[in-house]
Amino acid sequence: MTAADTTSTREAKVDDLLLTVVSRHRAPVLLVITALVGVVVVVVALAGPFITLADPTRTVGKPFSSEIGWLGTDGIGRDVWSRVLHGGRSIVLVAMTATLAATTLGTLLGVGVGLARRRVAAVVTWCTDLLVVFPAVLLLLLLAAGFPGSDLAVVLAVTLTTLPYSVRVVGSVTRQVASNGYVEVARARGDGLGRVIRFDVLPNVAGPVLADAGIRFVAAIYLAALAGFLGLGTGAPAANWGRMIAENVPGASTNAAAFVAPLVLVLALSTSVNLLADELSARVADR
Amino acid sequence: MRLWRLVVRRLALSLVALAGLSVVIFAATEVLPGDAVTAVVGPDATVEQRDRARLELGLDRPVLDRYFDWAGAAVLGDLGTAYVGGRPVGDVIADRLPNSVLLGALALALAIPAGVVVGVLAGARPGKRLDRFLSTGSLLAIGIPEFVTAGLLLAILAIGLDLVPPVSLVPLGGGPLDAPTIVVLPVLSLAILPAAAAARLIRASVADTMSSPYVETARLNGIRHSQLLRRHVLPNSLGPAIQVLGLAVGAIIGGAIVVEALFSYPGIGAELSSAVGTRDLPLVQGIALVLAAITLLSLLLTDIAGRLLDPRLRT
Repeated sequence: MTAADTTSTREAKVDDLLLTVVSRHRAPVLLVITALVGVVVVVVALAGPFITLADPTRTVGKPFSSEIGWLGTDGIGRDVWSRVLHGGRSIVLVAMTATLAATTLGTLLGVGVGLARRRVAAVVTWCTDLLVVFPAVLLLLLLAAGFPGSDLAVVLAVTLTTLPYSVRVVGSVTRQVASNGYVEVARARGDGLGRVIRFDVLPNVAGPVLADAGIRFVAAIYLAALAGFLGLGTGAPAANWGRMIAENVPGASTNAAAFVAPLVLVLALSTSVNLLADELSARVADR
Repeated sequence: MRLWRLVVRRLALSLVALAGLSVVIFAATEVLPGDAVTAVVGPDATVEQRDRARLELGLDRPVLDRYFDWAGAAVLGDLGTAYVGGRPVGDVIADRLPNSVLLGALALALAIPAGVVVGVLAGARPGKRLDRFLSTGSLLAIGIPEFVTAGLLLAILAIGLDLVPPVSLVPLGGGPLDAPTIVVLPVLSLAILPAAAAARLIRASVADTMSSPYVETARLNGIRHSQLLRRHVLPNSLGPAIQVLGLAVGAIIGGAIVVEALFSYPGIGAELSSAVGTRDLPLVQGIALVLAAITLLSLLLTDIAGRLLDPRLRT
């Protein structure tokens, strides 16, 4: 097989994947709306700080006033509109970084577990299951408590709480692939472990890994917003949708917008990501 | 007696798991002991004061020694003394835990029946409009963080309609039940997630049973749909679904930490987040250990209950 052949088959594969992602077999309206909402919220979160020049930490007027700016002011008179534009970035970035880390590590460990001898696999699975038992919020609180005020600690905490699930999923898929015969054939003809993983295992677990990454991202968004809400990570006065909800509860009756705006954004973000990830795993399962 | 052997085996495994989790808890909280000193003497303390506090707290000793001291005392029921306020950690937990148990029990009592009803309705006719509606609804509900649900309920029920108080203030010298309206918001916010999770699990189990050959046979015999559900489907799909209980307890413990903090409800979860805020390590470790033990216990109990309810595993 020439290099050109492999490229074209790879392109055909990508086309195939795109086709299954784009073509529809369930109510498309909801999906399109969800995707639009998700894209808008993520763009607002990432690009928000460029949209406004106003400083999200400066006091501009009376506390919890609904007269100043688009969305009024918060408890110490800061402009809610500019805080909303600044408050999503860390949530989305933390979630993305953690998902990338958890998926990469989870794939490595999962493939290892899937190919390892039964006893080794059992021990690793028991250890990861142990972390699954533990409420994620508790792990998040404990880990972030060790490094107050650091977003990196939140990334680490979110990665560690989602990693066990990744290892479990990838491990079981790898075990299926490994029992399919062609891995044994490849081993028997003398292919090294690296070659087998690269050419026989990884291409076949890619779909489930992608679907799993989607589910991990949902969990990561949830935990990242929750970390903000609990005051973990880069602390006050920096804006964060999760923390804004907590901060603005006391003023909810005088300036509801300060409380409702971040609430709606977190709701839109987590819901759209959740529905899209569910769709992705349904499609991967169908293939 | 196979059941007894099973119980003993599971109990032993749970204890090993608890020991493992105690290592995780200790390691996660002890990585930066410098800040624990600040929690005790305050940020303006002199170097001598800090050194003295470090000695008094025993933080100059090797980590392994401190872990075994802590874990050894914990086995005997002594969880140490809280830095802030100087009360024994066990007393603080004994004070707050009943309030949280009340919250969790009410949430469970609401979530499980709701989840079973929704799950059975959805799974009884898989793929039909009602199923699609309920399945999408429960999927949506699962993806919403508790603090957002809690915030929405707060905005609507407490601020919009003014039906319940927005903050759970317990009357002085009384318990949460002396002012029953204060538990409404926390319980509702806690119940939605496990209810949705239970509904999805039970829906899958019921839909699975609906497509099995013996249900098909019963249907071909002309049995009515309601009777089919009651006599043939439910007994065979609710047994496996017992694991939702363990799942729900886990979700409620995680949720309680968040929800109690939001509503200032005087439970163990709110205590934990405030202890994390003040870096009160003995209190954080003690509460985390108790929560881990409760989670493991609920998993153990649902596991055993699942075995008892599944006729194939009975002897």
